Amino acid sequence: MSDNSITPTPNEPRAFSYAPMPDVGLPIRDRLGQYPRVPDITFDALRTVARWTAVGLTKLQFRIEVRGDEPSGDRVALVANHQSHLDSLVVLASLSERRRREIACLAAKDYFFEKTSLALASSLFAMAVAFDRTRYTELRRWTRILREQRRGTLLVYPSGSRRRSEAHDAILFVLASSGWTIVPVAIAGSAQAWPIGRALWRPFRRIRITFGPQLSATPTRDLGGVLASFWSANT
Amino acid sequence: MLPVVLVALWLGTWAWALLITLLSIYGFKEFARATGLYRERLFVLAVYLAMIAANALAYLGRFGLFTVLPMWGVALLTLVPIVRNKTEGMLQDFALSVLGVVYFGWFLAHLTFLAIWDGGLGLVLYVVLATQLNDVVAFLFGRLFGRRHWTALSPNKTVEGSLGALVFGIGFAFVNWQLAFPQLPWWGVLGLGVIVGAGGQIGDLTLANFKRNVGVKDFGDLLPGHGGILDRLNSLTLVAPVAFHFVRFFFDGFP
Repeated sequence: MSDNSITPTPNEPRAFSYAPMPDVGLPIRDRLGQYPRVPDITFDALRTVARWTAVGLTKLQFRIEVRGDEPSGDRVALVANHQSHLDSLVVLASLSERRRREIACLAAKDYFFEKTSLALASSLFAMAVAFDRTRYTELRRWTRILREQRRGTLLVYPSGSRRRSEAHDAILFVLASSGWTIVPVAIAGSAQAWPIGRALWRPFRRIRITFGPQLSATPTRDLGGVLASFWSANT
Repeated sequence: MLPVVLVALWLGTWAWALLITLLSIYGFKEFARATGLYRERLFVLAVYLAMIAANALAYLGRFGLFTVLPMWGVALLTLVPIVRNKTEGMLQDFALSVLGVVYFGWFLAHLTFLAIWDGGLGLVLYVVLATQLNDVVAFLFGRLFGRRHWTALSPNKTVEGSLGALVFGIGFAFVNWQLAFPQLPWWGVLGLGVIVGAGGQIGDLTLANFKRNVGVKDFGDLLPGHGGILDRLNSLTLVAPVAFHFVRFFFDGFP
């Protein structure tokens, strides 16, 4: 005999309910630059292929020396000095594949995400996400995003530009107040490998990456000074 | 989009098959993103696979396998809830995926099959061009003469615009008769005209209905001013299989 004793589901009307992806309607360059990234089979696959290609070519062309331990933790912000377009690729090449997969590199929206072609290159090869430095509410928006994230790796250049060396305190404050672990990263040699203003890079140079100790105990107001000392001691 | 269509047809049936495959996949992606089905990657990948298979079979001229492809596609989809070991929302996702396999995949793959027929190039060009122009004519007639609205699916549609598009579809078929499909008799040309003129509008309304149900204005924004790929293919999706089977049934023109 068949068993008909299955508890029936409540007899309530059920209709299809649609929950569009949160980035429906956004232009492609905005979709590429969003953080957290909305899952996308095409972009994810392209990003994997592009990342492997970029990291492979970087490792082939430059002698990368890594000092210090790779950062651990669920929410890690790698805070680095910025001197060259190679910086992000070199940091990617010095990390494990698991970190590389989830990393997001904060990049100026008005520079890297104005054109779809550049947005594609930045997002796919260098894992860039858009930071809109022209909006005065951007820091507040990022504070909210970072607080909600349970896991992630960010690569941040607090100087905001390859031509500046001192860190902007505001982004450091956002990272610290959001509870993310701040890890200082010093990049040495990338400025010679691809100097500012040159169209092409110079291969076969030595580039050194130094991962410093986590700055969890450092008071927020001292972060800028501690980072500046770390970078000058390791570059 | 017209230059892309012409270049693909000029390169050969392989390029046309590739283009239709990519358009189907991208169109379905827009649909899946709008409905939220995109979160279920296995369903989406299974539909992509069915789309690739449909166009490959059409390109190879395997009519028997092509005809039963929806069955194999749906059979593949039945595995997804089992692999996912999940019940919640699976009926909806399964139904949307079946729609993807049949309506966006298999239907559109008929365009590939049209192209492999000897002399099919004219038919493909007619179907594609007439369908696209049909939308424009319906819009223009509606703007110029439109008085009576006739459907809740797309409130801007007017009786005058729809009749104008139907007349245009038939007229365009006769104008291109000797150039595009000289082997068809007059009633075959008339049939094709009606299929494009009426079928194009039905396809348009079907997608409009989907959009209203989902609650989006356009399925995408890849083509500025036109919405997404699916918004351009709405008429073609229905016209392609109907035109294909009309010509095949009455004139046996396909392998």
